[in-house]
Amino acid sequence: MSSLHAHTLDVIKLNIALPNGHRLLRNVSLTLEPGEVRALVGESGAGKSMIGKSVLGILPPNVAITEGEILLEGQHLNMMTPPTRRKIVAQSAALIPQDPLTALNPVRKIGPQIIDPLVRIQGWNAREAETRALDLLDRVHIRDPKRVMQSYPHELSGGMRQRVLIAAAFAPSPRLIVADEPTTALDVTVQKQILRLIRELQQETGTAVLFVTHDMGVVAKISQKVTVLFAGKVMEDAPTREVFTNPQHPYTRALIAATPSYADLERPFSPVPASLIADLHAQIAQDDLLYRGGRI
Amino acid sequence: MADITAPRARRIGPINLRLWLPLFWIALVIAAALFAPLIAPHDPLEQDLMLERLPPWFVAGTEPGYWLGTDSLGRDVLSRMIFGARIALIVSFTAALAACLVGTTLGLIAGFFGGWWDRVISRLVDIWMAFPPVLFAVLLVAVLGTGLGSVILAIAVIDWTRFARVIRAETMVQARMDYVDSARIGGAHRMTTLISEILPNVLPSVIALLTLEMGIAVIVEAILSFVNLSISSDDPTWGAMIAEGRGAIHFAWWVLLFPLIALFLTVLSFSTLGEGLKRHFDPVLQ
Repeated sequence: MSSLHAHTLDVIKLNIALPNGHRLLRNVSLTLEPGEVRALVGESGAGKSMIGKSVLGILPPNVAITEGEILLEGQHLNMMTPPTRRKIVAQSAALIPQDPLTALNPVRKIGPQIIDPLVRIQGWNAREAETRALDLLDRVHIRDPKRVMQSYPHELSGGMRQRVLIAAAFAPSPRLIVADEPTTALDVTVQKQILRLIRELQQETGTAVLFVTHDMGVVAKISQKVTVLFAGKVMEDAPTREVFTNPQHPYTRALIAATPSYADLERPFSPVPASLIADLHAQIAQDDLLYRGGRI
Repeated sequence: MADITAPRARRIGPINLRLWLPLFWIALVIAAALFAPLIAPHDPLEQDLMLERLPPWFVAGTEPGYWLGTDSLGRDVLSRMIFGARIALIVSFTAALAACLVGTTLGLIAGFFGGWWDRVISRLVDIWMAFPPVLFAVLLVAVLGTGLGSVILAIAVIDWTRFARVIRAETMVQARMDYVDSARIGGAHRMTTLISEILPNVLPSVIALLTLEMGIAVIVEAILSFVNLSISSDDPTWGAMIAEGRGAIHFAWWVLLFPLIALFLTVLSFSTLGEGLKRHFDPVLQ
């Protein structure tokens, strides 16, 4: 595109907040190189999904970006008018959602749900789009793509629906895919296949992926870089290998220690210590005071 | 495809009856309304004081040709019912459709756009529903004047809230679904999202409400006729027949009973049909 910028995605000092001023993201910055997979880890409510939603422009109506920049391929998303923004996002980003049960429209057949955006945004004709959809469904190992295109979502299993959604996400050849806990709603055997599938397609196409998860095991398998979040604040940002071999932040160390391991079943379960969480919250409260002070 | 079509085949049984019995009765009423002059054995307005209060065919002392008897002015009950079906159906279809269009549109807007749209429309619905519907109807007809148009307008003006309220809630549920986000990411305009993603999902409810409302419109029209506020008293309507029959119940019960049965079956059919259609059209139920 027009960009001289090398990064696929830059998030710079992003703050989002509820109407009462409570911040959900606190000065979050991260970058994503082309072809890179970055994992966003953290516990529930840490704001992992909110980063992806900010980028894609699907924040809940009561949540607003209060400060910060989002650059998609060097283009400032939050300086655009909503229609332009929607067009840019549709052209270069896609989502693999968390819950395959609600992410497909129950009263529309699968085919049009994959094909419509291709026709609308990429400007392909219906036949090109259909060929592309069939090709992608085949690539995600769906046995009878023609039949699936004619099916309604409720006629497919959860794993198949997630495959369909992966196919739909990769169909327009996006430069960025936000995968929002794509394996959380699936059972464990299917999780592994889906994960492998995403990695395969990602490597084949060179798409950058922002992979939201709370599972350190998944992080190790899929990502090159990791951003660890706690209460909407970045705790650590490092290459995956380093995070596992030499974690810098105590919270990261605690998260890794809390991951159960099959190799060592005797080891007792060690949750993140409450004292650490209290310390972190105290720190964040101080940050908030300073942040508000700075703005008044 | 076999595994997909199998569950559909299985629902022949109670659900098909639920769909076809009411459809049969409604088709009968529609046919009666359309071909009233051809079917009706007598002129519904023709009085014959020699033949007053003839009982129906299965009771002794009747005249042949007057199947359901005659009223106190000697008018044929069956013929009057057949012509009454015309008014009942015209009112129920047009009034329900008008209420449906207004209510569904406002409900979709309130549920999807939220904020001020929602606040204004919801408060309007609240205020509207605070009026007792029948009194409201009587008041409206009193202001607008009697006549077919006023009755239809009154019903539509009163009952759009029924649609607005339900469709607003359903839209809100659908608007939070991930597929709406997916459509937005796919570059769909908000209006496109509302019409091509959300509307099909609330359509089964719209259809169910519409048929239910047709039944309600039949009742409201009958109520207005009963208190002589509907169309002119010359035209036979079921409500007016019930009102006339009420006075003669002790010696000519058939004048009251037959229009009442017709009214009851029609309203029951409409509401059962609503549920049946909802199940029929919703790919998720069944």
